Amino acid sequence: MKVFAIIKKGWAGASIMALAMVIIMAYGHAVLAEPIKIGLMAPLTGPAAADGLSVKQSCEMLVENINAAGGINGNKIKLIVYDDQFDAKQAVIVAHKMIEGDKVVAGVSGSYSFTSRAAAQVFQENKVPFSVGYAVHPAVTAGGPYVFRVTILGHVQGKAGGMAAAKLMGVKTVSMLIQDNDFGQSLAKGFRMYAEKLGLKIVSADKFKMGEKEFSPVLTKIKKLNPDLIYNTAYPHDGALILKQAADLGIKAKQMGSEGLDSTIGFLEVAGKAAEGIVITTNLDRDSTVPITRKYLDGYEKKYGVAPDMTGASTYDALLMIIDAIKKVGTDSEKIIQAFRTMKGWQGVTGKIQEFTPNGEVIKDVELQVVKGGKFRRFGVISDQKVLQP
Amino acid sequence: MGLGYLTTIGTFVGIYIILTLSLNIISGYAGQVSLGHAAFFGIGAYTSALLTLKVGFSFWLALPAAMIIAGFIGAGVGIISLRIKGDFLAVTTIGINFVIVTVFEYSDFFGGAYGIMGIQYPMLFGLKISKFYYLMLVFFFVVVTAFFCFLISKSWIGLALETIREDEDAAEASGLNCAKFKIIAFAMGCAFAGLAGVLYAHFMRFITPNDFTFPVSITIVAMMVVGGIGTIRGPILGALLMAALPELLRPLANYRLLFYGGLIVFMTRFQPQGLFGENAFIIKKLFGQNLRAAFSKRNRVGGEEI
Amino acid sequence: MLQQVVNGIIIGSLYALIAVGLTMVYGILRILHIAHAAVFVSGAYLGLLVYTYTQSLILALILAAVGCSIFGWLIQRFLYTPLLTEARIVPLIASVGLFILCEDLFRLLGGPYIRAFKVDLWFDKLIFFDTVVTAHQCLIVIGTAACLVSVYFLINRTKLGLAWQATAQDMDTAKAMGVNIKQVINFNFIIASSIAAIAGVLTAINYNSVLPTMGSVPAYKMFAIVVLGGLGSIPGTIAAGLIIGMAETIMSAYFGFIMPRDAIAFSAMILILIFRPQGLFGKGV
Repeated sequence: MKVFAIIKKGWAGASIMALAMVIIMAYGHAVLAEPIKIGLMAPLTGPAAADGLSVKQSCEMLVENINAAGGINGNKIKLIVYDDQFDAKQAVIVAHKMIEGDKVVAGVSGSYSFTSRAAAQVFQENKVPFSVGYAVHPAVTAGGPYVFRVTILGHVQGKAGGMAAAKLMGVKTVSMLIQDNDFGQSLAKGFRMYAEKLGLKIVSADKFKMGEKEFSPVLTKIKKLNPDLIYNTAYPHDGALILKQAADLGIKAKQMGSEGLDSTIGFLEVAGKAAEGIVITTNLDRDSTVPITRKYLDGYEKKYGVAPDMTGASTYDALLMIIDAIKKVGTDSEKIIQAFRTMKGWQGVTGKIQEFTPNGEVIKDVELQVVKGGKFRRFGVISDQKVLQP
Repeated sequence: MGLGYLTTIGTFVGIYIILTLSLNIISGYAGQVSLGHAAFFGIGAYTSALLTLKVGFSFWLALPAAMIIAGFIGAGVGIISLRIKGDFLAVTTIGINFVIVTVFEYSDFFGGAYGIMGIQYPMLFGLKISKFYYLMLVFFFVVVTAFFCFLISKSWIGLALETIREDEDAAEASGLNCAKFKIIAFAMGCAFAGLAGVLYAHFMRFITPNDFTFPVSITIVAMMVVGGIGTIRGPILGALLMAALPELLRPLANYRLLFYGGLIVFMTRFQPQGLFGENAFIIKKLFGQNLRAAFSKRNRVGGEEI
Repeated sequence: MLQQVVNGIIIGSLYALIAVGLTMVYGILRILHIAHAAVFVSGAYLGLLVYTYTQSLILALILAAVGCSIFGWLIQRFLYTPLLTEARIVPLIASVGLFILCEDLFRLLGGPYIRAFKVDLWFDKLIFFDTVVTAHQCLIVIGTAACLVSVYFLINRTKLGLAWQATAQDMDTAKAMGVNIKQVINFNFIIASSIAAIAGVLTAINYNSVLPTMGSVPAYKMFAIVVLGGLGSIPGTIAAGLIIGMAETIMSAYFGFIMPRDAIAFSAMILILIFRPQGLFGKGV
C-alpha cells in the first residue's frame, strides 16, 4: 500500500510536472514563435506593374519555401508587401508604415531608384536595415550605413559591357542608344568610358525616353553610319522594339544590351527572331549550374507558369540576404548591418557577392548572356577587379 | 500608428491642399482651365533646391524667391492665355507641363534624370525644423494660403475674376481689363503652387522630374473638382479626402487606381459641383438649401436634355 | 532620305488615325475625350482575343470595331450626354477619370505583362533600293487610307454626314432645323470608336505588343495633334498627324539628344498656336 502510494504520488508528481513543462514549453514556444516581419516595397500598380508583380511573386515564393522548411531558427517569416505606386511620396509613406506600424526587422526594395531612394532615407533615419534589389542610382546608398544594394551599380555594369564589347565581341565601332533615365545614363557612362579606353570608337549616341516605340528614325540614321555594334540601355519592351525594327531595316550590326533586357516575356517574346545573337550584361545566368539559381529558375516557372526575370531575381537575393543575416545574428539592427559589412563570398541567385564596399555596394562578377535559339544562354563572365570596383 | 507616419501623411495632405487651393484661383475663380499645374509645383521645388544648394540662400529667403519666380513664369502663361483660349488653352497647359518637365530632365543644370538630392531641412535660430515641426510649418502655410484665397474672393480682384469667369465678353464690354486680371490670377495661382513646391523639396530632400509630371496635375485637378470647384472648403476637403483615403484603403491597394478613376467618374457624373460644392448633396442635407448661386454654366451646348 | 520619309509617314498615319476619332467627338460634343485612348487600347485587346481564336485578321478588325463602338456608345450615353450642361472642365475630368479606371481594368483583367500580337502576312517586307517597308507598315498605310476615305465619304456624301456637319457647326440651330441630334451623336461615336479600334489593332500588330499602358502616350499626345490641326477639323487633324510624325522622325534622326519626342509634339503645338490660336485649319475662336 505504502509503495503504491509512493508510486502513485510519483506518477502524479511526474505527470503534473510533465504537464507543467508541456504548458510552459507551449506557451514559451508561442511567444518565441512570433513571426519575423520583413517589409517589401514594389511598384504593384502604375507603369511598372509588371516588375512589381515579378518582385512580389519571387519574394513570396522565397518566404513560402523558407517557412515550409521551418522558418528562421523556428520562427516563421511574415512578408508584408506594400505598393509604392511608382511614386516617391508613397514610398516615403510606405516606409514609415513598415517601420512604425508593422515594426519590421528590415525592409527590402523591389522598386526603382527614385522610390528606393525616398524610402532609404526613412530607413536610414530610423536605423532599420534596408536591402535594395535592382535600383541603380548611386544616391540610394548615399544616405548612410543602413542601406545595402545587392545589384551592381549602373556604371559598373556599363564598364563591364564596354570591356565585353572590346574583348569578346570583336567589334571596332559602336552606336549607342541611351535611355534617358538614371539607369540608362549611368550604364551608358560606364560603357563609354571603358569602350573608349579599350580602343573602340563611339560613332553615335542617341537618347530616348522610356516607353518609346518608334526607333526607325534613329535606327535609319545608325544604319547609314554602319557601326559594328549597337549598344542599348533599354528596358525589355523598348529593347525588343529596337531589335525588331533594326532587323526590319536590315541592319547587320551586332547587338548588345544590359540587364534591362533580362526578361523572357517582356523582351524575348516581343522581339522574337530579331533577338537572336544579342549579348547582355546581367546577373542572372540561365545556364547556371549553381543549385540555388537553378532552384529559383525552375521553381518560379513551375509555380507561376512564366519565366522569372532580373527584377524578381535581384529582389529575391535582397530578401534572401536579409534572411541569411537574421539567421546568423538575430534581429538586432546593428548586428545585421555588421553581418552585411563583414560578409564575404555570399552565393545568391544572381551570382556570388565577393564583398560589400564601405558604401554598401557589392563587388560581384558580371554575367554575360547571349540569346541562342530564343533563350538566354551563357556567354561569359567579367571578373576584372578594376572593372568591378564601384 | 507611429508619429512619423502620421506627420508624413499630414505633410503631404497639407502640400496637396496648398496646390489645390492655388489651382482653384486659376480655374475656380478665374475660370481658366489649367491642366499643367504640376509644372509650377516643380518650378518652386527646383528653384528652392538650387537656391539653397548652389547659391547658399537660406530656406527663408529661398521660399519667397521661388514663389516670385513661379509666379513670374505663371504670369507668362497668363499672357499666353490671352491669345489661346478655352480648350486650346487647356491642351496648351498640358504642353507647358511637358515642356517644363523636359527642361528639368534634359538639362544638367537641373540634375537631369538624376534629379537633385541633398536638399536640407530649414533651420530656424540654429534649430533644424523637421518632422513634427515641419508639419506645423506646412500647416501654417496652409492657413496662410486659405486666408489669402478668402481675401481674394471677397476683394475687388475676386469680383473681377468672377465676372470674367461667368461671361468674359460681357466683362470686356463693360470695360473690365480682362487681360490684367487673367495674368494676375495665373501669377497668384502659380506662385502658391511654387510655395507648395518649396515645402515639398525641403521635406523629401530629393526631387526628380518624375515628381512633377502630367498625372500629378490631373491629381490636383481631380481634388479640386471632386471637392468642389470655386469654393475654399472644396479644395481643402477634396485634397484631404483624396490624399488620406488611399491610406484607409490600403488593403485594397491593388484596386486603388480603379477606385481613384471610379471616384472621379462618379463624382463628376452625379455631383459635378463637387462633394462640398455649391449644390452638393451634403450641403443641401446639412443646410437645407443652396449656399450660393449655381456655378458657371458658360459655353453650354444647348441647355436641355437631348 | 526616303527611308526617313517612309518612317514619318507611318508614324504620322497612326497618329492621324487615332486623332481623327478624337476630333470627331470634339466637333460634335465639344468635349476633350481623353478616354478615347482607352477605346484604342480595348480595340487592341479585343483584336488580340479574336485573332487568338480565329487566326483571321479581318475578323479581328471587324469584331474589335464592333466591340469598341459599343464601348464608345456606352461612354457617350452614360457619361458625356448627361454632362453636356456642366462647366467645360467637368466632362474633361470625367473622361480622365474613366481613362485611369480603364487602364487599371486592363491591367487587372489582362495582367500587367506584355502580350505578343504576332500576325504573319503573306509577305515580309518590301525593299526599294535602300528603303524598307514592312508588311505591317503597309497595312497601317492601307488601313489608315481606307478609314479616312470612308470617313470622308460618310461625312460628305451621305445624309447623315450632312446632319453631322450641321451639328458640328451649331448644335442648337441644327436641332431647330429638325436634325436628329441623338442619331448624329451615336453615329459619331460609332465611327470614332471603330476607327480607334482599328488603330489599336494595327498598332499592336506593328509593335507586336499589347499591354495595359499602351494608351498613356496616345492619351495626351493626340491632344497636341488635334489642337495643332484645329479642334474639330478632320482634314486639320490628318495634316497635323502627318506633320508631327515627320517632325518627330526628323528630330529623332538628327537632333535626338535635344529633347524627347513627346515634348516635340507639344512644342510644335504651342509654337503654332502662338501664331494661329485656332490651330492650322481651325475656325476662328
